[in-house]
Amino acid sequence: MKVRRPNLTLLKKIFLVDLIRGLFLTFSYQRPSLNYTEQYPKVRPKIAERFRGAPRLNNDPETGETLCIACNLCALACPEHCIEVGWERDAHGKKALTEYTFDISRCMFCGLCEDACPTPALELTQDFELGLYDRRDMKWDRQKLEEGNQPVVYTK
Amino acid sequence: MDFAIDYILIPFIKIFIVFNVVAGVVALLTLAERKVAAWIQVRLGPMRVGPYGILQPLADGIKLMLKEDIVPAGADKWIFTLAPVISLVPAFIVFAVIPFGPADAFTIMGHKVGYVITDLNIGVLYVLSISSVSILGIILGGWASNSKYPLLGALRSAAQMVSYEVALGFSIIGVLILAGSLSLVKIVEAQKAAGYWYVFLQPLGFILFFACGIAETNRAPFDLPEAESELVAGFHTEYSGFRFSIYFIAEYASMIVVSCMAVTLFWGGWLRPFPNVHILDFLDAIPLAPLFWFAAKVVVFIYAYLWFRWTWPRYRYDQLMKVGWQWLLPLAMANVIVTAVLVLLLKG
Repeated sequence: MKVRRPNLTLLKKIFLVDLIRGLFLTFSYQRPSLNYTEQYPKVRPKIAERFRGAPRLNNDPETGETLCIACNLCALACPEHCIEVGWERDAHGKKALTEYTFDISRCMFCGLCEDACPTPALELTQDFELGLYDRRDMKWDRQKLEEGNQPVVYTK
Repeated sequence: MDFAIDYILIPFIKIFIVFNVVAGVVALLTLAERKVAAWIQVRLGPMRVGPYGILQPLADGIKLMLKEDIVPAGADKWIFTLAPVISLVPAFIVFAVIPFGPADAFTIMGHKVGYVITDLNIGVLYVLSISSVSILGIILGGWASNSKYPLLGALRSAAQMVSYEVALGFSIIGVLILAGSLSLVKIVEAQKAAGYWYVFLQPLGFILFFACGIAETNRAPFDLPEAESELVAGFHTEYSGFRFSIYFIAEYASMIVVSCMAVTLFWGGWLRPFPNVHILDFLDAIPLAPLFWFAAKVVVFIYAYLWFRWTWPRYRYDQLMKVGWQWLLPLAMANVIVTAVLVLLLKG
């Protein structure tokens, strides 16, 4: 392979022009306004509008009852089979939600469950703080899903 | 009694102060290195420990002390233990002759006290010879580790020392001719008498000195003995915990030494800018003014060290040799000859 070398005149070589230009470039990068670092727990990152994070089961804000109709479409749509919907028939023969498990350790946040849901029940929220100390805690039950993820808030 | 105060008590106090200040500056330098690196790379650097990460060196120190101390199985235990110390001690004892200010600044109860621990009449020679011993520690450490990367680092260090020490010595001779003394205090006083810093008469000498100084301290772009990307960590690959940090401290202390030497020899030491303009004389009346000017100049050089490291790539081994032998040495010799001839012609 042919190496391309810059064409340096003798004067440029003697006064190390290229080296000094490099120095000025790195010096100019030190402006605080250029800084990319985000002081994360203190400064919250800007999250994209369509970001898909922690799942949540929504309740009707007026009655407080679940919006889920236990149709099981989310479980069928899930490519990872990480959703399990439990139901029983009520007196009218209608399905009613009993329990709901969502394994976030296997979830890839594709959002297909959210798309499949015919009601506004299942939603992937903007919350991204899903770190846990025990992987058994990653199976979220109905209660946890309805409360939504409540990460520890660090202020320091 | 006077003898005891003049030669034991006062030097002891001075040594105590200088040692602690240098150790503190070294600690801050480890932070400065990370900060400057971060700024140049459009990051922030350490921000969590204390305001703006100012206590980071403390946290690093505690971490390093708590680390396991490993000696490789086939290592030469004695030399392995001794090498970091050999590297560290010369870097600190060089400060004995560095003048941080005038040698007889004030008189306390009839005893003259200055800003220099001792004014040797062969100060430059002392600095050059002692600071070369520092490299012996690197070579020994690389050899004693019984591992291939440290050995390669040590070999490179040896070769580098041989090719740059010579040019380093020659680059100073121009200043010595002008000042007519080897004492660091006298050199600064000569600059004061002349009314200008020697860098304006010896720009080439200064550039050569600083380039060789960087090579002496194994800093980028001459950091071949360390060469993270090629030799893992070079000579200190096998070192861990506090032994490693001793090497680290030695490197930073040597950086301060070279900066101090550059300031003393070429940039007027403790003199204020424009020492020949008498309107600015009121600046000298401010207490601790010499210390301030000296520290300010040293900070500039230390910043330059860090700036160079995070800007320029490392020289290849053959390029290093080529620069050393084909450029720096002949230029340094030419500088000596031209200076000598000019001084002879102009001063008669």
